[in-house]
Amino acid sequence: MWGRCLIVALCVLGWSAGAGAQEPSSGRLRVAAGLFAANPSAVAVSAAPDPDVPAAGDVASSPEATSTGDSATPLEPDAPQASPPLNAERRACDGCPRRSVGKAFAHTTIINGFYGIANLVRGQETAKITPKTWWANMEQGWVWDLDDFTVNQFGHPYQGNNYFNAARSNGMSFWESTAITAFGSGTWEYYGETNHASLNDLVNTTLGGIALGEMFHRAGWLVRDTRKTGKSRLWSEIGAMVLDPITGANRFITGDSSRVTDKPSEFVPSHLAGFGSMGAMWRGTQAAEFEGTPDPFLEMDLLYGDVESGRSRTPYDAFAFRIRLGGGAGVSEVKVRGRLIGEPLGDGGLQFAVLQDYAYESNDAFHTGAQSFDASLSKTFGNTSAKTRMLLLGWGGLTVLGAVDSLPVDLEAPPEEQGNAVQGVSEGPRYYDYGPGSLFGVTAMVTRDRRPLLTAFYEGRHLFSLDGVRANHFLQRFRLDFVAPIRGPLGIGFTGEFFDRHTYYQDANRTRKSYHYPQLSTYLAWRLS
Amino acid sequence: MIRLLRPIVFCLAIAVVCAGTTASAQSASESSSVQDLKGPGSDFWLVLGGSFSTIRGDCQTCEGDYPYRHSGGFLGNAGFRVTPRMDAGLEIFWMPMETAGGNIRNTHIDAVGQFRPWASKGFFIKGGAGMAFVRNWVDVISPEAFNQKALSIVIGTGWVFRPHSRFGLQVFGAQHAAALGDLQTSTEQVPDVIGNFWSLGGGIVIR
Repeated sequence: MWGRCLIVALCVLGWSAGAGAQEPSSGRLRVAAGLFAANPSAVAVSAAPDPDVPAAGDVASSPEATSTGDSATPLEPDAPQASPPLNAERRACDGCPRRSVGKAFAHTTIINGFYGIANLVRGQETAKITPKTWWANMEQGWVWDLDDFTVNQFGHPYQGNNYFNAARSNGMSFWESTAITAFGSGTWEYYGETNHASLNDLVNTTLGGIALGEMFHRAGWLVRDTRKTGKSRLWSEIGAMVLDPITGANRFITGDSSRVTDKPSEFVPSHLAGFGSMGAMWRGTQAAEFEGTPDPFLEMDLLYGDVESGRSRTPYDAFAFRIRLGGGAGVSEVKVRGRLIGEPLGDGGLQFAVLQDYAYESNDAFHTGAQSFDASLSKTFGNTSAKTRMLLLGWGGLTVLGAVDSLPVDLEAPPEEQGNAVQGVSEGPRYYDYGPGSLFGVTAMVTRDRRPLLTAFYEGRHLFSLDGVRANHFLQRFRLDFVAPIRGPLGIGFTGEFFDRHTYYQDANRTRKSYHYPQLSTYLAWRLS
Repeated sequence: MIRLLRPIVFCLAIAVVCAGTTASAQSASESSSVQDLKGPGSDFWLVLGGSFSTIRGDCQTCEGDYPYRHSGGFLGNAGFRVTPRMDAGLEIFWMPMETAGGNIRNTHIDAVGQFRPWASKGFFIKGGAGMAFVRNWVDVISPEAFNQKALSIVIGTGWVFRPHSRFGLQVFGAQHAAALGDLQTSTEQVPDVIGNFWSLGGGIVIR
C-alpha cells in the first residue's frame, strides 16, 4: 500500500511538472526589479544588468533599454523596424533572446535526439535504445565507463556545452543554464545510450559543459555584430554560429539573426586580449630527453574581461581560454578558467576570486584532465597607466573529478589503446584513472603595454584514484614563457615546460614512481587585439 | 521489494522526462509579483526530511549479482536563495543499512543546486556532488569499522508545496551514488564498487 502511494505520488509529480510549466511573463519585470533592489551592488558595480537575473522586461533599470529598448524610438535611422515592448517579447534586453524555460528543456531533449540519431547513423551499437535499455540503465544506476580519454574528457564536455547554450539561447541565466546542462546530461546517460549511465560522464558533461558553454557563448557574442545588416551581418552570425552552434541556430530560426539591436551589454567585456603563437615543440619522455623531430603547433589564448580588479557577481565576465592544436595530438590542450565571483580585499590592491576550471591535456607522452573549483588571491604591481606591470596570482581548490594515465606498478608506459570490438561499445580496459582531489598553483606575469613579456606558472594537482590503479597521483606542471616583441603585434617566443608526476601506489610495498616530461617550444607570437 | 522498485524507478524517470517534454507545449500566461515569488521567508533555505531508500552496491567488473537492500534515510539541505528560481547549499543524506556480515552507515555531504524552472510553481530538479563517508562494520573481521571516503553525486526531482511561504512541504525522488573504490565484505574485498541509492521521501521546508 505504502509503495503504491509512492508510485502514485511520483506519477503526479511528473504530470504536474508539465501542468505547472507555465512561464510567468509579465511578472518578470517585477522579479528583476526586486532582485536589483535586494542586491543593488549588482547594478552599481557594472553597467550591465546582472545576467543571473532573468530580467526580461526590466526596461527601467537596463542602461541599454533606456536608450534602445523603447519601442517608440528606433535604434538607428535605418533600423528596419521598431521593437515591440521588451516585456511583451520576454526579453531581458533588446538584443537578448526571448526567454522560454519550456523551449530550453525541449531543445535539450532535441539535442539528445540529434546525438542519438547521429550515433545510430554511424552504426554505433550503443545507439540502439529501447524502453528495455532505459529500464536496464535505471535498474543498474551509475557506473564508471570505459570510453577513451578524448571522448570522456573533451567529447562529453563539448556535448554539455550544447545543452548549456540551449538554455542560454532561450534567455536563461548562467545559473539556470547549469541546471539545464545537468538535466541534459542525466537524461542522455539514462536514455540516450544502451551503455549504463556513467558517473564520470555526468560530472564531465555537466561541469565541462558549463565551462565550455559559457566560454563559447561569450566568444560567439564577440564575433556577432548585431548592429550590422546585409552580408556582413550574415557572416558575423555564421562566424558566431561556428563557435556556438546552438545559439546560432536558434537565432536563425527565431529571426534574431537579422534584428538590428545593440549587443547585450553583459556580453561586452571590459577588456579583451587575444594572443596567438605558432611554432615547433620538442617533447622529452622518461626514456629520452628530447625527440629529434619537433611537433608543429598553433596555440590561441583569450583573456576576456578584467580579472585584476572589481567586484563581480557575474559568472564568466572574466575568463581565460587556451587551445593548442598540434603539439602531439590534434587538440593537445584546452583550458578554461572562468571567474564566478570577484571581490577586492582591503585597500592593498588584493583581489579575491572564486573560479571554475576545465582542463584537458592530451599528447603522445601523457594525458590528464579535470573539472575543478578554486579560490584565488591576486595582486597587481604598477598602476593601470604604467607601461610595465606585474600580476602575482595564487590559488587553491578542489578537483571534483580528474583523470590521468593509468600506470600500473609493473608497467613502464601505458599500452596503446585498442579499438572497441563493436563500434560504440566500450569494452575496456581503460588506460586512465579517475578520482577527486585538490589543486594549488601560483603564477607571475610581467606585461608591457598589457602584453605578456614573461610568465612563470606552477600548478600542483593531487588525484586520489577511485577507479583504476589504486594510487595517489601528484601532478606538477611548471611553465615559463618569454615573448620578445619584434615589431607591432609580432613577437618571438620561447617556452619551457616540465610535467612531473609522482604516483604513490597503495600496494603492499607502498611503491612510489616518478615520471617527467620536459617540453621546449619556440614560436612566432602575435597579439590579436 | 524488488517488484516495488521497478515501478518506482520507472515513474521517477517518467516524471523527469515529462518535465522536459511537456513543458514546451505550455504557454506564458501567469503573472507573479516579486513578493509572490520571494514570499514572506528569508533567503535562507532549510529542508529536513526522511526517505524510504533502496541501495545496491555493485562491482561492474565482477561476476557477482549484488542484492538491493532497503532502509530509511535522513535528508537535510541548508543554503540560500541565489535567484527566485535557484537555491544553492549543502545536502546531508544519511542512510544506515544491514548487510550479510554487519552493517554500513553512509553519510553523503554534497554541494547542491536546486532549480525551480517555473518560479511560481513547486516543481524542482536538483543536482550536486561532494563526498560520501562510509563506515562499514564487518563483524567476522573486526569490531572496528572500515572507514572509507567516496566521491558522491546526487540528482533528484520533486515538488514543494507552498514554495514561497516561510514553511512548506516537499516530496522528492533522488538518486545518490557513492564511488568508493574497494569495499570489504565478510568474504572478500570487492573492487571498483559504486553504491547507488534510490530514495523517495518528504520533508519540511523553512525559508
